[in-house]
Amino acid sequence: MHSVATVDHHHEHHHDTDATDVFGFWLYIMTDCILFGTLFAAFLVLNYQGMTPIGLKNYIDLQDVLLETFFLLASNFTFCLAFLSLHKKKLFNTGVWLAITFLLGASFVVLEIREFIHIANEGFRWDFNGQASSFFTLVGTHGFHVSCGLLWILITIIQLPFLKSSTNILERRMTYLGLFWNFLDIVWIFVFTVVYLMGAL
Amino acid sequence: MNQPDFGTGQKKLEIYVFGVISCVILTVIAFGAVMSKWFSIHETFIIIFAAACIQFLVQVLCFLRLNTKTEQARTNVMSILFTLVILVTIVIGSLWIMWNLNYYMMH
Repeated sequence: MHSVATVDHHHEHHHDTDATDVFGFWLYIMTDCILFGTLFAAFLVLNYQGMTPIGLKNYIDLQDVLLETFFLLASNFTFCLAFLSLHKKKLFNTGVWLAITFLLGASFVVLEIREFIHIANEGFRWDFNGQASSFFTLVGTHGFHVSCGLLWILITIIQLPFLKSSTNILERRMTYLGLFWNFLDIVWIFVFTVVYLMGAL
Repeated sequence: MNQPDFGTGQKKLEIYVFGVISCVILTVIAFGAVMSKWFSIHETFIIIFAAACIQFLVQVLCFLRLNTKTEQARTNVMSILFTLVILVTIVIGSLWIMWNLNYYMMH
């Protein structure tokens, strides 16, 4: 009787600290939002008043951007599927869905890097003017976040077999990764709207 | 059965499918409005921003699963609202100041 009570208590305590940890990660994401907010503000200020004649407009290929958007959205969805299989304790399926998420995210990054190289070769380099610098900083910071997320997904896939028996830990780590990955997709909505669609108008 | 959800709501396949389909539709609307050039610049501007805001809400509700069911979920909602206030201050504030500066430089 006594031992059961202690075990219960211990479990409860563990759950509480997990909840605090996840809240802490959520706060990190909120501060990351503010980082992106400042970059957006810089981009808008440098692009939409007293503009220099040579703008981003001539270098944008919207079809590529649409493809990137779908890659990111699809990877978001497959991550959710990975989470669902984790809930059903099907760790193998979780690994497969995570691998698909990784491939979709990697396609996004590859497309973005190709686009950067293309734009830079056309003459719109990051040291060309304020517009170019703010464009590469904003979109590059997002791309860097996605690359970090990709590394994180790889690490999670490697960890899966080792954490088979401790689903609590796995659950918590997947929650972090899920928040981060969803957050990147939400930032991308505003990147493609403000940078690409408004830029192409 | 009662898994810890850390304030991120219960995971349901239907909600994710609904979320991803509405996001695809909204993305296609936004890109279509710009690429087809059917509307005036002003109208297109309104369409793409409306689509972005709706998609933001869909993603927050369907994927981040913000809700007010548990104490932790409510704390998350409070912190995201606070962040939105800061974001609006930073972005609108910067634009306002810089546009004013530009205006007085020109006149």
